[in-house]
Amino acid sequence: MRQIFNWIRRESLERGLDRELQYHFDRRVADLTAAGMPEPEARRRIAVELGLAQVREEVRDIWLTRWLRDFLYDLRFSTRSLLRSPAFTGATLLSLALGIGATTAIYSLVDQVVLHSLPVREPERLVLIDWKGEQLANGFGSYNLMSYPICRDLQQQIDFFQGVLCRAETTVNLSAGGDPKPVGAEIVSGSYFAVLGVGPALGRIIEDQDDAAPLAGPVIVLSYDFWQSQFAGAPDVLGRKVLVNQHPMTIVGVAAAPFRGIDVGVVPAFWIPASMSEQVVPGFHDLLDRRTRWLQILGRLRPNVTTAHAQAGLQPFFKAMLEEDTHRAGFPTVTATDRRRFLASTLQLTPAPQGHSGLRRSLSQPLWVLFAATGVLLGLACLNVAGLFLARGSARGREIGTRLALGASRGRIGRQLLADGLLLSLAGGALGIALGPQAIRALIAFLPREVASNALHASLSPHLVAFAFLVSVASGILSSLAPAVHAGRYNLIASLRERGGSGLGGIRLRKCIVTLQVAFSLILIVGAGLFLRSLSGLLAKGPGFDTAKLLSFSLDPEKNAYSQDQARQLIRRVETELRAAPATRNSAVARVRLLTGGSWNNPVTIQTDHRFTSDRDVEMNAVSPSFFATMHIPLLAGRNFDEHDSRPIGETGRRSVIVNQAFADRYLDGRDPLGVRIGSGTLPETKTDIEIVGVVGDISYRSLREPSEEAWFPIFEGDDAMGTFYVRARGTPEEAFQTIRQIVHRADPQLPILSFRTVDEQVGRSLSTERLLAALSGSFGALALLLSLIGLYGVMSFVVTQRTRELGIRLALGATGASAIRLVLRDAAAMIVAGIAIALPCVAALGRLVQSQLFGIAAIDPATVAGASLLLGGASIAAALVPAWRAARLRPTDALRLD
Amino acid sequence: MPSSRFPIPQGTLDMLILQILSLEPAHGYGIAQRLEQISRSVVQVNQGSLYPALHRLQQKGWLRAEWKQSETGREAKFYALTAAGRRQLALEKDSWARLSGAVNLIFEEGSR
Repeated sequence: MRQIFNWIRRESLERGLDRELQYHFDRRVADLTAAGMPEPEARRRIAVELGLAQVREEVRDIWLTRWLRDFLYDLRFSTRSLLRSPAFTGATLLSLALGIGATTAIYSLVDQVVLHSLPVREPERLVLIDWKGEQLANGFGSYNLMSYPICRDLQQQIDFFQGVLCRAETTVNLSAGGDPKPVGAEIVSGSYFAVLGVGPALGRIIEDQDDAAPLAGPVIVLSYDFWQSQFAGAPDVLGRKVLVNQHPMTIVGVAAAPFRGIDVGVVPAFWIPASMSEQVVPGFHDLLDRRTRWLQILGRLRPNVTTAHAQAGLQPFFKAMLEEDTHRAGFPTVTATDRRRFLASTLQLTPAPQGHSGLRRSLSQPLWVLFAATGVLLGLACLNVAGLFLARGSARGREIGTRLALGASRGRIGRQLLADGLLLSLAGGALGIALGPQAIRALIAFLPREVASNALHASLSPHLVAFAFLVSVASGILSSLAPAVHAGRYNLIASLRERGGSGLGGIRLRKCIVTLQVAFSLILIVGAGLFLRSLSGLLAKGPGFDTAKLLSFSLDPEKNAYSQDQARQLIRRVETELRAAPATRNSAVARVRLLTGGSWNNPVTIQTDHRFTSDRDVEMNAVSPSFFATMHIPLLAGRNFDEHDSRPIGETGRRSVIVNQAFADRYLDGRDPLGVRIGSGTLPETKTDIEIVGVVGDISYRSLREPSEEAWFPIFEGDDAMGTFYVRARGTPEEAFQTIRQIVHRADPQLPILSFRTVDEQVGRSLSTERLLAALSGSFGALALLLSLIGLYGVMSFVVTQRTRELGIRLALGATGASAIRLVLRDAAAMIVAGIAIALPCVAALGRLVQSQLFGIAAIDPATVAGASLLLGGASIAAALVPAWRAARLRPTDALRLD
Repeated sequence: MPSSRFPIPQGTLDMLILQILSLEPAHGYGIAQRLEQISRSVVQVNQGSLYPALHRLQQKGWLRAEWKQSETGREAKFYALTAAGRRQLALEKDSWARLSGAVNLIFEEGSR
């Protein structure tokens, strides 16, 4: 460290040393002349006894240490020699910048989504507490859900936890002065901020008393970002009243800046205590119900308590709680098996320093796949640079030979090459970092917009720069390793005797490098092929209905303080008006939006000539009668819903259902589905009183990937008070957007229109991960192909130059041009075949890792592998053809006269 | 003339410099003169090796340096002992005493 500092101020150090020595010199001269020595004589004598040059060198060694000083000289020399060959420098810089830039960009996302710990106090002591087994509970939300009372129970386990929090994310209509707008919110226990150790930037945070009893705390705490963007950071927000779903709440504080909730993918605008959940989630009255699972629970372990210790220690409490649960009022009547499974449940603790995130769950695997791919790409770039270095090394053969002859050690020469490599890779890394934010922004653009705009950012952190620096140094060492080793084996006598060029050892090494490049490229090209075919397979398959000019939007009137009946009436009124509007061809309402990844699902009981249950969940939805016609879903048998399917007023429940073809195929096995009766649920007392009245074609419900058994019920028979509208436009979608906006505005100017977009866009969103994988692996594959072609071309040109004399003799002795081409191509083909042979086992091994990301295609797909090999082989042969053709056109006389 | 003087033993130059500076701060030339005076011209110090030694000791944090006016009126770089340098001097004196004691013991053993 001190030495680097010395290097920076080396000029002032030098000046100081000069003055110091000059002083000594002058004093000594004065003393000697005073003693009677003539001045010229004195000067000569002092110069000898001091040895000025020697002293300077020795002192400099002390300032910088020897190796550092040598290394700095090497760097200076490298810079000069690299600047002399701009084409070489440009090519290597570009390969390295691409490799390092891509790796850094992907790493940025890996870091943000997967690795980054929450900005809270000691995040490493946070654990996620999850129920492993059968909960016998209904619920809503994403994953790892439990009930609110369990969180309360866990807070008593102070032997293990310093604190326990629970939270759920939701969307509410927030009006702060103007019209209500949908924003994200996090429902949290009173312990939330205290457990995380997050304080307020302004006012106070949510505290225990806000969550002491239902409706105890009508307060909210804003997130710092939301405060800045929506309230312009006004300090007087404290005490302001806002409406959350039309219920008045008071802003009591703003949370500290870096904290943005515990889910990296969902950034809340504000936090609200769980005590207010009835008002935040319309129609929810189950805060204190133990059989409603809707919250994630996280705990902070006491110091010196390990996760395993806490997990083991909590089981007695948990067993007792399970036992007690079975005696509580409201515990469902269940079969003996279900009861056994319930009682066999355990608590599972997993470290959660990164919080809890659905985005991480869905994106971490694709990101690791891409990270691995960039690793291969970077390796390829390094190989490319190594190849270029070797080529340059052989051109510098004479220089190196001369330096060796003058007494440079082999280590010294190797170090010079290392300096070349490091200099290039650091410059490449700097270029990569400069391009970084752009690249990261491009990556984020592949993700759904809500995530992109809120949760992830494209800025460079010191962390990221450090990563890029490490990667650069590593690739610098990697890419100069081969040339350095090669220089170490340099045969001095042979090289000086030789007339130009270097020995054949360089060629062998370069051929190895090209072979490896071919192998790496094949891996990337096969990957690109697999992901591209998965995406195109999904696009070709489509959602099973016609998306042309199809728009969708959702209304949730209960969040604007409508009662359930009012909400239902409003939705019916809007639908009637939409169907009558001239801009629309048709329209329908569904209870659950399609292609969002979520669904309403349940297992069912089926009554044919015997009673049995479905072996997995059936995806359910409730739709208006015009749904199938609007979506262009074919009715294959039976009839559509009509007014007969409505129950008399005051009676709820369903009497008819339409199933899809997959349902009939899986459960009814050739039997006529019409008239078969089913019931929702698998309890012994489940009534099978819903009659199948029709069969429709299969469509994609959760996503394009999963084929599912679907059951469609008539809407407005249950508790439907919100809905997603599907509208087929007559003219352009823009005109229809206008009409829809007007109609909803007429119905209620205060009501926000949610998720207003074309269905094509919805399909696109549902494929964002696949698109990301396909686009990136595709460009990586193309880049890899390019790099290995350059490598192959380079080495074959070199081979031809080296063998010019031999080829000339052959041609002079009567060999044809074609045989010369064959000779060169045989060399190239050997490398290509060897490369492919190396890659195939790797492809097989890596394929298994990406299997879950593929669709409709095996990870080891012979057609893709064959196609990729053919593409790579063909292109490589073409690249080798150029030098081969040059070999064939050699004129023997020229070739023999050469050199 | 040089034959009558010993070349300074390896590694002792640092110790001597520290010792001289423990009396009072001095510049390079002064140290060289004092070395010669104190050792009564028995020990020969290569003037050239003095400066690398000074810079090495400064780098190690045992000396600090400062430009001050010297006795001739010109500015010179004066070196002074730091606290760490003082500790180091004590350490070296101690180990030197033990070493020379041991060597004396061995000589006496041989002469008996």
